Amino acid sequence: MTHLADTETSRPEEAPQLPPPSRGYRLIRGMGWTLVWLGVLTLGFVAHQLWITTFFAKQNQAELVAELEDHFESAEITEIPYVPVFAPGEAPEPDDPSIVSGALGNLGTLRSEPPPEDGTAFAEIRIPSLDSLKDGWAVVEGVALGDLKNGAGHMPWTPLPGQPGNSVISGHRTTYGQPFHDLDQLKGGDRIEVETAAGLHVYAVRETHVVAPTAVWVTQPRSGAWLTLTTCNPKFSARERLVVVAELVEGPNAEVILGRI
Amino acid sequence: MRRIYRALPGSTPVKVITSIVIVSVALVALHFFYEWVGSSFLDTGGTVG
Repeated sequence: MTHLADTETSRPEEAPQLPPPSRGYRLIRGMGWTLVWLGVLTLGFVAHQLWITTFFAKQNQAELVAELEDHFESAEITEIPYVPVFAPGEAPEPDDPSIVSGALGNLGTLRSEPPPEDGTAFAEIRIPSLDSLKDGWAVVEGVALGDLKNGAGHMPWTPLPGQPGNSVISGHRTTYGQPFHDLDQLKGGDRIEVETAAGLHVYAVRETHVVAPTAVWVTQPRSGAWLTLTTCNPKFSARERLVVVAELVEGPNAEVILGRI
Repeated sequence: MRRIYRALPGSTPVKVITSIVIVSVALVALHFFYEWVGSSFLDTGGTVG
């Protein structure tokens, strides 16, 4: 009997039953997990935008630079008569002496290349004073989202760099390799180099603007030869656009366009 | 997570493969979602118009 009693008393005690979690407890636990997952997704978003987009853009850049070398070698360069481009309101009247005398019809010739196909690399932009662009960045034709995933794209309805008028290039500021990250650091007179199959075109910074994303006037034609760079502003926001306007000062077409010949 | 994994049908190898497929699809979907959010609100590429 004693033995049986001992056995009974040595049985492990059953774990005490916890009361089921209350509704408030479950609600707080659910909110906690929701916040944890939101935090994970937000951190994932930041990592994706800062590093993953840049990783893919740099991979694309390596391919585009190789494509660019082929393009420079194979592009057919032609000499075309220089036809000046005028800013809206600056075009000469039909009875202007320069038109009457035919002077505008004989202003020299420009080195020109055929228009690139959409999405293909056709130029390299370098800004020696900026870390993000001092080593050069391939520019593709087009400013669709897919084109800009490579970093920088040329607006197809504007002239090519080195040609008369206003050539516009847009680029990412904080993602996809952030080629235009430091564009706000450019000062008047800073040098911007754009190499195309037609040669190396050098521009000097003249103006900087912060405008609304809808300010299409920045893409309008200009008298002479200009390069307009546009990017998002401020950094990490698409609220505005930072616009840098530079004038052609050197290059195979500069002498003709600037009227030095 | 463990509960979801256990609820998957099939043997362990089938569960592992199913999990990998589900996670891969989720990551690809997340990548495109992040791209859309980033290109719409954070950095559109700087074009105007």
